[in-house]
Amino acid sequence: MKGQKILIVDDETEFAETCAECLAFRGFDARWTGDARSAMEVINSGWHPAVVLLDLQMPEMNGLETLSLIKQFDQDIEVIIVTARGSTEDGIEGMQRGLFDYFMKPVEIEELVEKIHQALDKNKYPSPD
Amino acid sequence: MTPPSLFLSSRFHKGLRHGSDNLSGQDRYRRMRRWLLAILFLIAMTPVVITAALNYLQYQELLREEAENNARWGMESAKRNLETFLEKLNLSISLIADAYPHRELLVQENIDLAFTRLKRDHKGVVDLSVIGPNGIQKSYAGPFNLLGKDYRESPWYNNTLSRGAYISEAFLGFRNIPHFVVAVSRKMPDGGGNWVLRASVDTETLDKFLASLHSEIVTDVFLVDESGTRQSTANFRKQKRDQIVLPELSLKKGVILTNEFRSEKQVIRTYTPIRDTPWILVQEHVSHQSKNSWIQFRRQTLILLLSCAVLTTALVYWIAGFVTATIRKTEKEREAMLAQAEHTNKLASIGRLAAGVAHEINNPLAIVSAKAQLAIDLLQRSSEFESREKILASLAGLQKAVARSRDITHRLLGFARRMEVKLQPVQVNDVIEEVLSFIGQEASYHHIAIDKELDLDLPSIMSDQGQLQQILLNIINNAIDAAGKGGKVWIATAMIQPKTVRIEITDNGPGMTAEVQKKIFEPFFTTKTGKDKQGTGLGLAISYGLVKKLGGEIEVHSEVATGTTFALSFPV
Repeated sequence: MKGQKILIVDDETEFAETCAECLAFRGFDARWTGDARSAMEVINSGWHPAVVLLDLQMPEMNGLETLSLIKQFDQDIEVIIVTARGSTEDGIEGMQRGLFDYFMKPVEIEELVEKIHQALDKNKYPSPD
Repeated sequence: MTPPSLFLSSRFHKGLRHGSDNLSGQDRYRRMRRWLLAILFLIAMTPVVITAALNYLQYQELLREEAENNARWGMESAKRNLETFLEKLNLSISLIADAYPHRELLVQENIDLAFTRLKRDHKGVVDLSVIGPNGIQKSYAGPFNLLGKDYRESPWYNNTLSRGAYISEAFLGFRNIPHFVVAVSRKMPDGGGNWVLRASVDTETLDKFLASLHSEIVTDVFLVDESGTRQSTANFRKQKRDQIVLPELSLKKGVILTNEFRSEKQVIRTYTPIRDTPWILVQEHVSHQSKNSWIQFRRQTLILLLSCAVLTTALVYWIAGFVTATIRKTEKEREAMLAQAEHTNKLASIGRLAAGVAHEINNPLAIVSAKAQLAIDLLQRSSEFESREKILASLAGLQKAVARSRDITHRLLGFARRMEVKLQPVQVNDVIEEVLSFIGQEASYHHIAIDKELDLDLPSIMSDQGQLQQILLNIINNAIDAAGKGGKVWIATAMIQPKTVRIEITDNGPGMTAEVQKKIFEPFFTTKTGKDKQGTGLGLAISYGLVKKLGGEIEVHSEVATGTTFALSFPV
């Protein structure tokens, strides 16, 4: 599973950047963007993530809309929402749009990694190695 | 500086406000009750009093009319009797005057015979005499020696001459005994003037006749002359003559009736002239106001009114009390509902605020956590250096602090979260058993005994299993905390009303003061301030909100040094 592409989308750039670094330490190919538009650009540019960690509240486009766009692009990309401002309704709405799971910040990196592994197991993406 | 008028006006309003503040709720209800009492009493009693008054007046009028009619009839009958008596006497004397020629009556034997016959028919006749045209008594039959007496100056004599027949008022005369005279005059056979035949009647006969007219309702009967002087024997024996004031009415005809007040009594007096006499008959009758039927009617009316007043007072007292109590209860309930709404509102706004704060804090917490993790990652890859372990330990501490903060913010969000209620039949006893399976071990570790008294016939309630679990977990946890080491917790379930299930969780902990009980369901209020006891002050507030959301009620009963009971009730 090492080297799997993970994209972190969060307007809290400090969190996104640190999170990406932590994931990189654990062998993932992690990138981050500060908004949904940049994230879609990255995905469209051919860098195909296996899992996207997505914030809910973001300027311009919110997490749920971004989730729909990602799922439209590729149904197999698993999306995990990591948000400071979650609600059960958002969670249910997300699940209906194909969300894999839902985390409330602050979240421990180890928990995130475990969830990413579960998501990857689901689709059994082949390792590039 | 405040202008004087403004100053005064503000003082005035302050005074008013102060006044109304002083009027406590108790006083307000007392005043309302008094007003109700007065108004209801008036409403109830007014028609009764009006009816009684109308009855009173009508009956009084009826009795007055009856009494007056009776008086009139009585008077007319008495007048007829007296007139008949006098008429007969008059007729007898006229007959004698006509039957005996004048000169025959001058013979003593004849006049004696005529006198004897007259006396036989008319008791009270004292004597009979003949007065010649010169006014001198010519012959006399009777006990007094009045022969030769000159009557020329006597009013009765002159009246007889001028009228032909005359009945005089009572007078003493030559004999000095009260009497009256019935006299007729006839022309002398030779045409030389008129002679007069006179009979004297003692007034005692009149007195007796009048006394016979007395009855239950006729209290006094007497004759007066036109000047109002009493025509009774007794009157002549007194030094001072009894005189009455006659009403200023035409006495020539009919019966005159007056209502007078005599010797502290209302009486009816009737006056009527006696035909062909100078007399006026006066009768005094009992007024209707002294009659038994009237007195009884008045007494009955009074008793009726008093009974009505007593009954009305009792009824009105009860109604006013009932209405006031009902209003008071309704207002109390309204106040309780308002307080409830205020509490719920407060919870909701605090919930929103808490959610906002929690969200804002979650982001920096996430950064702190991630940075700490990155630092740990970096340190673990770096070579050994001085203080490396110390820094790692500090970072681990930092992570722990973040975890604690997260617990708090997540609980805050849990408090504010609007979870959809998923209603399904839930067996309360089962939920209690589930909760005890979570925390039973911890309780036994602290040597806390948990006694259950579960009603096995309890019906299922429509509720949300997860939320009910959360509520019970919270409250049972609190009870265990309160009971402390070696303490005891009782859990009981029962049906209290046909459609209500009640759960009671009791501990024998230190209990709470009334002040604490009041605030126990408010967010951020906690009693767990000890070193190893830390509470967020949200547990019971969350439970309260959840119980309300599930349509239930939560109450707390506590006594310091005895323990606390939380009672939950849910509709079936």
